[in-house]
Amino acid sequence: MSAITPPMTGSIGKTPAAQADERIRRISPWRALLNRPEFGSIAGTLLIFILFGFFAGDSGMFNLDGVMNWSTVAAYLGIIAVGACVLMIAGEFDLSIGSMIGFAGMMMAVPAMFLGWPMWASMLFAFAGCMALGWLNGYLVVRTRLPSFIVTLAFMFILRGLTLVLSTHFSNSTIVSGVGDKLSADPVVHTLFQGTTLHGLFGWLATIGLIEKLPNGEPVVGGLPKVLLWWLGVAAVAGFILSRTRFGNWIFMVGGDSNAAQNVGVPVRRVKISLFVFTAFCACLFGVLQVADVGSAAADRGLQKEFEAIIAAVIGGALLTGGYGSVLGACFGALIFGVVQIGISYTNFDSDWYRVFLGGMLLLAVLFNHYIRSRATTGK
Amino acid sequence: MTTENKDDYILQLEGISKYFGTVISLQDVTLRLRRGEVHCLLGDNGAGKSTLIKTLAGVHRPNKGRYLVEGKEVSFASPREALDQGIATVYQDLALVPLMSVARNFFAGREPMKKLFGVIPVMDMHHAARVAEEKLGEMGIHVRSPHQPVGTMSGGERQCLAIARAIHFGAKVLILDEPTAALGVKQSCNVLKLIHKARERGISVIFITHNVHHAYPIGDSFTLLNRGQSMGTFAKENISKEEVLDMMAGGTEIQSLFNELEGRAAA
Amino acid sequence: MRVRKISLWLATLMAGAMALPATSIAADGPHANERYVLISHAPDSDSWWNTIKNSIKQAGEDFGVQVDYRNPPNGDLADMARLLEQSAARNYNGVAFDIADYDVLSKPAMRITAKGIPVVTLNSGTDAESKKLGAILHIGQPEYDAGKAAGERAKAAGVKSFVCVNHYATNVASLQRCKGFGDAVGVDYRGSMIDTGVDPTVVASKVSAYLRSHPDTGAVLALGPNSAEPTIQVLERMGKAGKLYFGTFDLSPAIIEAVKKGELNFAIDQQPYLQGYMSVAAAVIAYEDKTKDPAAIIAKLKANPKFQQRLKTYGLEPIYTADGVRSGPAFVTKDNVSTVEKYAGQYR
Repeated sequence: MSAITPPMTGSIGKTPAAQADERIRRISPWRALLNRPEFGSIAGTLLIFILFGFFAGDSGMFNLDGVMNWSTVAAYLGIIAVGACVLMIAGEFDLSIGSMIGFAGMMMAVPAMFLGWPMWASMLFAFAGCMALGWLNGYLVVRTRLPSFIVTLAFMFILRGLTLVLSTHFSNSTIVSGVGDKLSADPVVHTLFQGTTLHGLFGWLATIGLIEKLPNGEPVVGGLPKVLLWWLGVAAVAGFILSRTRFGNWIFMVGGDSNAAQNVGVPVRRVKISLFVFTAFCACLFGVLQVADVGSAAADRGLQKEFEAIIAAVIGGALLTGGYGSVLGACFGALIFGVVQIGISYTNFDSDWYRVFLGGMLLLAVLFNHYIRSRATTGK
Repeated sequence: MTTENKDDYILQLEGISKYFGTVISLQDVTLRLRRGEVHCLLGDNGAGKSTLIKTLAGVHRPNKGRYLVEGKEVSFASPREALDQGIATVYQDLALVPLMSVARNFFAGREPMKKLFGVIPVMDMHHAARVAEEKLGEMGIHVRSPHQPVGTMSGGERQCLAIARAIHFGAKVLILDEPTAALGVKQSCNVLKLIHKARERGISVIFITHNVHHAYPIGDSFTLLNRGQSMGTFAKENISKEEVLDMMAGGTEIQSLFNELEGRAAA
Repeated sequence: MRVRKISLWLATLMAGAMALPATSIAADGPHANERYVLISHAPDSDSWWNTIKNSIKQAGEDFGVQVDYRNPPNGDLADMARLLEQSAARNYNGVAFDIADYDVLSKPAMRITAKGIPVVTLNSGTDAESKKLGAILHIGQPEYDAGKAAGERAKAAGVKSFVCVNHYATNVASLQRCKGFGDAVGVDYRGSMIDTGVDPTVVASKVSAYLRSHPDTGAVLALGPNSAEPTIQVLERMGKAGKLYFGTFDLSPAIIEAVKKGELNFAIDQQPYLQGYMSVAAAVIAYEDKTKDPAAIIAKLKANPKFQQRLKTYGLEPIYTADGVRSGPAFVTKDNVSTVEKYAGQYR
């Protein structure tokens, strides 16, 4: 039972400059890339493109209009995937996203079509309402300490039901039509959300022959769909905040260990509630863009989109348990989803295989991510 | 043993009692900490050490007694307030996020900021990485890279990181909750070395443990807790390690216990 | 490493699965590399479209071309719009689709016509909408008229009130059917319709709940197998089978059984086989003969011996009009059910 008495001398340990730790080895840039959370999803995207290039290369999938086709699907999903990703990093889920998409569409359509509101007011109303609901979600989760899974699941049903109620009450059917025309007439909402942009650029590209022309002389793709720009914008802002700002550090802490975060003074509640509000904003943006695109609001919009958003975030490297993830990864995850969802129609395969293929892709991507991440955290 | 001169003490608990419903967790405990002193709080499991730490840290408010910091009575409404007064607690879970890097963890909650393009406030990652590496190095901890995830560090390194962080951010009193409990021999020594460094800087340390072999070499004085009550505070020169062990075991002679066990085994 | 191994196996498996031969019939002959597509609004769970899937396969065989079938898996019309855009990007030789919602689908449909690809519409939608979209032909059953014809039969049998069991209320055509029936009987359909969705347990519970709370309901109108089949069971359980006037749209084996037993007064057959086959055939003829004249196309199709053979085999009767063709309504009752019975659910 003899204690080991360490020498209690004055200076302990060598000075940092003098000692080069023999356990540090120079990591090649390639290795550094491998350790990033996005790597799995980037590799997955490349794999998908190669696969589809092989099976659908000459089908028109990689023509300009084909590219616009699947990138639009990816953009829509990408918007909510970014929201779901940052929320997941903070350790929470929002299962009401899909229902909120439908609800947002209805919140914009009903006042405009039946209550005589101007379109821009309806649009603001939709955003304000959704973000308030997001706040409520967050507040309930934070206050009651119930799993966010359960709280948002309840809202998933409530909002889906409310959407149906609003629709049947005002329009006697599950769909509110005619919104598209009204929207086109409103300059603010039209410019922000509807259609395409950069027409001049595309027209010019057609005249110099870089873009195909339709029989009537118009370029085959008239412009860049606005949903793509919104996706890039939302992803850029969210990614910047997550990786470079103090708030982003807080998000990682809250997800990694919320007790620890609390103990060092991070305002855990405020962080979580703001993220729920952000996710609601993303869902509303999706809903509004879709109404502008499709011209109507319906009670079955956004069905099951919350799972797709979570899947995209997980493919992108986010941990289901929180504390780890990347916005860029979630964007690639959404891209994979969009390409697969639409791309399978470009191949000769029966579209019944779509779900099987999607599930297989997801499994592959997650396994790959797991492998990459376990290497990263054990410091190999 | 203890003087009544209040200026000597950076922190005092006078006659503290804490009840949880019908359970008496602490009963009339007195603890006095001098500046630059390492004070070990010893006791077996269930002696009330956790409750005492939480009271010191500001998580619990005592039902009876007084809590004084630098001679002034205080009542902390939250751990944040205790932190602001320079009383830093390093819990067993360390308040570290394994998936985040050393630099991010080091500055968690106190991130250094700079302005991008003069307008947008962002984290100064460069500064954080450099300072974290430097300060840790001063404490004798050499990280392979400030961007490596904390999860890749050993238990001892993490413990030192947590302590070094507390010291860097201006702790006057460090309360360490069982820092060596899960560590091996070499790692425990590193932690003890770090505590010594802290003492050299004038920081007072309350070192909670149930392991006398770690506590005795580093401690200047000892308080023993048994079943919620203090069995006394002793300066090192007034008590031997064996006596401390005996008191922790509840007064029975450790040696006779072992003799009995050995006798049984031989039989 | 275990994870790596699993991933490798999975990847090989999937690549192997994808190398399976494509399920569209490998065609031979001079037109073998022509590709056509039929896009429907129906979710995977809607069984009524089986007949159309089968009919377009046979059209592909008869004309020696490749035909694809595409649909939004959940029935989301926004996804259907994407599929229409995709068919334009894919440069199919001809596209057939149903106008589930004119507002949602008009823009994407214009993209197809803008490229000069022949478009034929079927099933949902009116002739007017079809023309507005620039389609060559519409092959369907005017929903309102079919509903009205059914309603007139019911009125003649003394029916004064009804409930319309609607399993696909997001499709405007479904409302047209209920409205037609209601107008013929003299009742506002909006108060007489229940939106049940396609889940059979939900349909059954909603129908029985309605009938219990409205015991004086004179008739039940179902809009397809998804709403008819659970209703048949509900009526049997409630002991009202054969006593309550009950009619449905479309056919299926269970519906045929019920017609034979006298539990269903009639089933309206819109002859989906014709909708599928003829729309694809029309697109093929339009592309190959480079014509947009509906009369000429129909004439050529009528003269096609393989088509006539199919009609004979399945006992089908298209209703030719001045400049088009209708696929229904054909009323299947106890009197003429046996001929239909053989192919119910597959080709009828």
